[in-house]
Amino acid sequence: MQASRARLFKEYKEVQREKTADPDIQLACDDSNIFKWTALIKGPSETPYEGGVFQLAFAVPEQYPLQPPQVRFLTKIFHPNVHFKTGEICLDILKNAWSPAWTLQSVCRAIIALMAHPEPDSPLNCDSGNLLRSGDIRGFQSMAKMYTRLAAMPKKG
Amino acid sequence: MQNKDGPQADGELEAATSNPTPDFDDWAKFGDDDIMQQQTAIRAEEAEKAPFVGDKEPLSSLAAEYQSGSPILLEKIKVLGEKYAAIRRTRGDGNCFFRSFMFSYLEHILESQDRAEVDRAKSNVEQCRKTLQSLGYADFTFEDFFALFLEQLESVLQGNGTSISQEELLLRSRDQSISDYVVMFFRFVTSGEIRKRSEFFEPFIMGLTNATVEQFCKSSVEPMGEESDHVHITALSDALGVPIRVVYLDRSSCDSAGVSVNHHDFIPAVGGLPNASGSTETVSPFITLLYRPGHYDILYSK
Repeated sequence: MQASRARLFKEYKEVQREKTADPDIQLACDDSNIFKWTALIKGPSETPYEGGVFQLAFAVPEQYPLQPPQVRFLTKIFHPNVHFKTGEICLDILKNAWSPAWTLQSVCRAIIALMAHPEPDSPLNCDSGNLLRSGDIRGFQSMAKMYTRLAAMPKKG
Repeated sequence: MQNKDGPQADGELEAATSNPTPDFDDWAKFGDDDIMQQQTAIRAEEAEKAPFVGDKEPLSSLAAEYQSGSPILLEKIKVLGEKYAAIRRTRGDGNCFFRSFMFSYLEHILESQDRAEVDRAKSNVEQCRKTLQSLGYADFTFEDFFALFLEQLESVLQGNGTSISQEELLLRSRDQSISDYVVMFFRFVTSGEIRKRSEFFEPFIMGLTNATVEQFCKSSVEPMGEESDHVHITALSDALGVPIRVVYLDRSSCDSAGVSVNHHDFIPAVGGLPNASGSTETVSPFITLLYRPGHYDILYSK
């Protein structure tokens, strides 16, 4: 508990210091609870998520950093490795490939990389995975783009 | 072809029979988190069966394990008995090599009170710190693990305010908040060494998996619970400058009369030893581990 708090505080200071280092990620800690964080990440360019801003919720366990944080998309996203209803993410570093060498910030980077490079063979969203696996890139992209417009872009007028 | 429809459909069926008004969202959450929880539960169950580091047991307890097993193994254990007196088991949680090394090394310092060895180890640890920094690791990701190991190293030396006894060392090795941190320290050190000398380790890694050095470190060295192979042992031994003997207990045998037990000594590369006195005299490892396929325990010489 003490160790996780100390580590998170270091990450918090690092985030404050490097605020402008990565313009695609805005990571913020809950005002009253250092175990709760949220992040805003920009959809990577040349993907159907381009132009969208996606919100992530982090729940950090007491055994952090020996145990990975739990991360979910709060913004609806159509992606093979993200559960359409719960926002749960299928990413190895959030499960058995986790190590304390990762940080909340680098997890965000890994999630952005996952958005650009979906793994349709381990789908949490089967509809999305099936489109990609059957080679219907256009179908996948238009669905993903539609949800990006609907859920991840500020409403116009 | 596998997808997640199968298990989810089953989950729905169960929920429907046990709960007259199934809440779709409830079982929709069923997923990796639940699997992780189940894994944690399994580990907790294992934990009750065996501590991270067990008590010292006479070698006869090893023989007892194979009472009705392979005669080759029983024969080999007899041969082991000529040189070794006792065994200390570690939990088979994928960290057994690092955990065995941790206890064995600290216990050696506690018994020998070899301050020169501690000073030498400390300077190697500082070298490892620089290695990680130069590889681009942020200090805050590894410094807590380094600090905790150095604290243990200091505390097994008597004569300072924080000295600890053998019993206390055993308690700490069984305390997850200390034990896992030291294991993680070794994982950082091992990973740093492999990446620093990637051209040396690359062919071995290619032989083991199919991964690049970088991928190997990320997937098989740094995560807790990933088992160790000769690559890990070589790297850790080199990085810390500590020789390690591994005695192999398996069913292999040569047809010629009499069984023998193989061992391999991991002797730190001289280049990696800043304090090496330039001599090539036979270094005899003070750490001896018993390897049975998939697991490491600690062995004690007579």
